[in-house]
Amino acid sequence: MAHFTPAVRRLRLRFAAALTGVAAFMGTAAPDTPPTTAAAATVGSRPLGQQLYGRHCLSCHQADGGGVPNMQPAIKGGTWVQGDSRALALFVMTGGFDSASRKDSDVGNVMPPFRQLPDAELAEILTFIRAKFGNGASPVSEAQVAEARTSLP
Amino acid sequence: MRKYLLARVVSFGCAATIAGASVAADDGLKLPAGFSATVVQEGLGTGRHLAVAANGDIYLAGRKGLTAMRVDKTGKAVEVVPFGNVQGTEVRIFGDWLYVSDDVGVYRYALKKGELAPSGAREVVVAAFPKERQHSDKTFALDPAGTLYVNVGAPSNSCQEKDRQEGSLGKNPCPLLEKYGGVWVFDGTKLNQTPANGRRFATGMRNAVAIEYNAGQKALFAVIHGRDSLDTLFPALYDAADNATRQAEEFHRIVDGGNYGWPYSFFDTKLGHRVVAPEYGGDAKKVPEAGKYPDPLVAFPAHWAPNDLLFYTGKNFPAKYQDGAFIAFHGSWNRAPEPQAGYKVVFQPMKNGKPSGEYEVFADGFAGDMADNSPNNARYRPVGLAVGPDGSLYVSDSQKGRVWRISHQQ
Repeated sequence: MAHFTPAVRRLRLRFAAALTGVAAFMGTAAPDTPPTTAAAATVGSRPLGQQLYGRHCLSCHQADGGGVPNMQPAIKGGTWVQGDSRALALFVMTGGFDSASRKDSDVGNVMPPFRQLPDAELAEILTFIRAKFGNGASPVSEAQVAEARTSLP
Repeated sequence: MRKYLLARVVSFGCAATIAGASVAADDGLKLPAGFSATVVQEGLGTGRHLAVAANGDIYLAGRKGLTAMRVDKTGKAVEVVPFGNVQGTEVRIFGDWLYVSDDVGVYRYALKKGELAPSGAREVVVAAFPKERQHSDKTFALDPAGTLYVNVGAPSNSCQEKDRQEGSLGKNPCPLLEKYGGVWVFDGTKLNQTPANGRRFATGMRNAVAIEYNAGQKALFAVIHGRDSLDTLFPALYDAADNATRQAEEFHRIVDGGNYGWPYSFFDTKLGHRVVAPEYGGDAKKVPEAGKYPDPLVAFPAHWAPNDLLFYTGKNFPAKYQDGAFIAFHGSWNRAPEPQAGYKVVFQPMKNGKPSGEYEVFADGFAGDMADNSPNNARYRPVGLAVGPDGSLYVSDSQKGRVWRISHQQ
């Protein structure tokens, strides 16, 4: 069964990002600002974090972070998304299978772990969701994700 | 009302020449010409399936509990009474009994003459199904002999080693099929049964929320929720557009001993044939062993979420609707980022238990604008269907607990 290793996926993402950049150039001629830090990287008109959210998170949590009634929880305004960034990083890397809050939840589906994503991509996603759905909570750096990862079993 | 509808049709000019032309009806629902909708009631929280008694009383199941409603001659609810202690999806009337279910059991209440809400104690028909989170609604059907057919959905998307994780392969054979992913039959007239008293009637069904016994055909039918997430689980094989469109919501005649292919396969609407699921060695084209799983009677679009099925035998609707199937599609979530779809009631013409034409949209306009393409923002989501004693079709909604009566003007 062919499926992508993280390294191959990174290459694909770079390729996709390059295409998006070309499209942005052809469409608007707006120059792409070179990313300065991981948390502020943008590709074309959409932040990389938003693109990664679209790829990994959106189909369940939806574009507005509102979730789906009885299926997946809303993350918009939730305590996880705007709380401690280390706890959030660990939650996203381990998934929702054994979380305590899940026991009282009435949603049906369980979030799979996302530890297979590299630190930089997780940092982009977490920074995006905290800004968009977490009342402007602080960005999360690649180094913070890497540090949190050391606590994973 | 009749004058108003006629005026609308004429004012749109061309509408009158289009078969099944839609006109604005009560509450913004779009219905074929000649039909109108009345809001019976709303505001009772999450509605699920519903049943209508011979005297016109309505029983609505919901995730917050059961509600009984009595209506006046115009179809508006004049009495609304929450009752019982069952939070779930299914509700059916069988003889002098109201059968209901939650995630772990099937129960019944005696319906006594003159009573709107049953006053008697809840009786247990079957209890102690394993408590699960995914696909746990125990929807059911009853045949005239009292055989109880229970949908036991699979607590899984595609029986992966690791549920919903990218690249994880399927367990083979899928052990969930021993207890889930099919229809189990019981004697619905016996009390205090457990799953051990049941018999697996059919298998390979991920979650057949829409299940119905067709008395004319003496057969069980179901529309099955197809799998999710082809693209996020197997991005080398499928992209987001594939995931949004290819895996059918399959409408089947369910026969004793039947196997409908989950999790090993699904019906690919783009290729027009069944394919092996990527978890089981599928490459987006590979065909399962010939004859192993039946093709669906109808392959409905991906992710529309068929949540109720009803064969129309009432007296109110025109002849073409007789013995045809109405299906309530709750509407998609897993099509995102593509536009969501479903959120409508569809009519499938049937003759002798087989499709006799293309399906058509019967009632639409439930979802409204649905901001951000997010199901949470849908105005209404149709979920249950029932026929009243006068032949009107009743539709329930899961967003606000709204119930409509749809009638045809003779």
